[in-house]
Amino acid sequence: MIDLTRTERTVLGVLIGACILLAGLVGTGVLSASYLFYLLALGGMYVLLTVGLNVQWGYVGLINFSVAAFFGIGAYSVALVTSPRSPLELELHPIFGLLAAIVVTVVIALLIAIPTLRLREDYLAIATLGLAEVVRLIVLNEQWLTRGSAGVPGIPRVTEWMPLAWVPFDSANFRNFLLVVGLVALVFLIVRRIHRSPWGRVLRTIRADEDLAKALGKNTYRRKMEAFVIGSVIMALAGVFYAHLNLFLGPGDLDPINTFYVWIAVIVGGSGSDRGAIIGGVVIVAILEGTRGLVAVVPADVSVGPLRLLLVGALIVLVVRFRSQGILPPQRELIWPGTDRRASASTDGGEDRE
Amino acid sequence: MSEAVDHEVEAEESPDVDDPILEVDGLKKSFGGLVATDDVSIAVERGSITGLIGPNGAGKSTLFNLISGFYEPDAGQVLVGDSDVTGLPPHEIVQRGLVRTFQTPKKLEGMSVREAMLVGPQAQPGESLVPIWLSPSSVADAERANLDRAEELLQLFEIDHLATERATEVSGGQLKLIELARAIIAEPDILLLDEPVAGVNPTLARKLAGFIEELNESYGLTFFIVEHDINFIMRLSDRIVVLDRGRVLTTGSPQAVKSDSRVIDAYLGGGGP
Ligand SMILES: Nc1ncnc2c1ncn2[C@@H]1O[C@H](COP(=O)(O)OP(=O)(O)O)[C@@H](O)[C@H]1O
Ligand SMILES: [Mg+2]
Repeated sequence: MIDLTRTERTVLGVLIGACILLAGLVGTGVLSASYLFYLLALGGMYVLLTVGLNVQWGYVGLINFSVAAFFGIGAYSVALVTSPRSPLELELHPIFGLLAAIVVTVVIALLIAIPTLRLREDYLAIATLGLAEVVRLIVLNEQWLTRGSAGVPGIPRVTEWMPLAWVPFDSANFRNFLLVVGLVALVFLIVRRIHRSPWGRVLRTIRADEDLAKALGKNTYRRKMEAFVIGSVIMALAGVFYAHLNLFLGPGDLDPINTFYVWIAVIVGGSGSDRGAIIGGVVIVAILEGTRGLVAVVPADVSVGPLRLLLVGALIVLVVRFRSQGILPPQRELIWPGTDRRASASTDGGEDRE
Repeated sequence: MSEAVDHEVEAEESPDVDDPILEVDGLKKSFGGLVATDDVSIAVERGSITGLIGPNGAGKSTLFNLISGFYEPDAGQVLVGDSDVTGLPPHEIVQRGLVRTFQTPKKLEGMSVREAMLVGPQAQPGESLVPIWLSPSSVADAERANLDRAEELLQLFEIDHLATERATEVSGGQLKLIELARAIIAEPDILLLDEPVAGVNPTLARKLAGFIEELNESYGLTFFIVEHDINFIMRLSDRIVVLDRGRVLTTGSPQAVKSDSRVIDAYLGGGGP
């Protein structure tokens, strides 16, 4: 807790405030505990997507417009492998759903990245735009595989084993919430470790100037490939989680607008910062889900969908105007923890460097 | 000291190089109709400071880009030490011991000065994902050693007070020093500097020249330097290669080159220093 910057303390304060507010809403019966945990679980899912895109865009500067597609690849892998109603009729244990999601994602990410990462950066962006459309069309039209617009029902739950029956507000949503918290924590610890390392430093150099990284002997192609695959797998994990949360999967779950929301989350949180990615994900979910409550407030002839987009737009304007680097931009040097004598000697490590 | 060097070069009759660390043979590169490098053959003696001069647009930077793997030559060969590096990607040429800097300084957005320095060392175990998980202690050991070395070099170049400053906020001259220090920490055998003192004030330029000489003498590091500042390069170099319109005009000692009428015509415009 010592190494929090001033901004991080403020953000933490706001988060704690939000938790108290939510607890209050539940306590007064405005919000049911089960629904709150459902919202928080969705929030965790967005955080995973944001952390994944942050590895690609924030660490190394790769432009991926396929966030929703990789999410969908993860989710559909699970649905097709585990559901009794899947046309594949495999009905495998969810662990194989997870493995299938990872393998398929890695293969597709490599197929996209191998030809484009050697070229100028815009080629990856264009290729991912194409992938997003291809995945959407396959899900919609290849009925023998995906059941098309009928969707895949019957995806199994994965939280029955949790020994939580004694908890007063135990519910499927509560368990899913715990699951996603565990998932986010695991992913966060993994990406933070690889980020604060010479590997992360090379990525940061590539983002600033790829030619310089090459001139200093770095295999930039390889590093970009790794970041792209890791980020995509994290997005697919969000899809895996969603499949087990929703228990049903249809083409509508791959809405491309989610790619846009995740991009906003990364930028609002602060590109390149792991904590920022988490905050960005939380903020976006707060807006997307918070606006649902507006239905009760706004007049019946005002539709909430466009209003939500308006709010997201306003958020972008505010961030660009007042905090163009995002809420928690990267502030730490990427030096392997425990090796920096300066850091252990200095006492002002807790201050913003602005 | 410079007298001794002059003497040596004059005593040597032929401009041939006995022990080349870098050899360029029949290198060609054109951009559309423009021939930027036209059948260039050059050898750089191991342990020397070799200057590369020529008027603007002569193809000096292009030659550096060809040697360091940033451009693919249309014809010709590049040898570093004993190995043919023609067509290799830049990072593999660095592994063969050749490092280059850029004419326009590269700012490292979002990095501190010492972080930028830490990108220099080669073969860091922590740059691959496997050691990060399987042998974290080797990552930590290398990191400690590299931090110490970065600190040492920043001290040598008298910019250690900048270590934790943002790399984007140091002056242009300091950036040149950082670039040189970062290239040194990569431990090359030969260092290609593209206009190391462009935009640097005379005091700092003299200091930089001093560092280059010191590194050349104490580590035997070979330098191949493009520089517009004629006084700087003439004073520093053992040998000078003159490029003009993509071709090698002449090669020789600074004295010989200075008095060569073709060089004066092409480059010094008759009113040289
Ligand atoms: N990437 C490129 N594309 C097209 N023309 C280039 C490129 N790089 C260099 N040139 C051209 O090659 C010539 C030599 O340029 P350069 O090597 O930068 O000269 P110098 O460094 O000696 O001033 C110039 O006419 C320049 O415009
Ligand atoms: Mg040039």
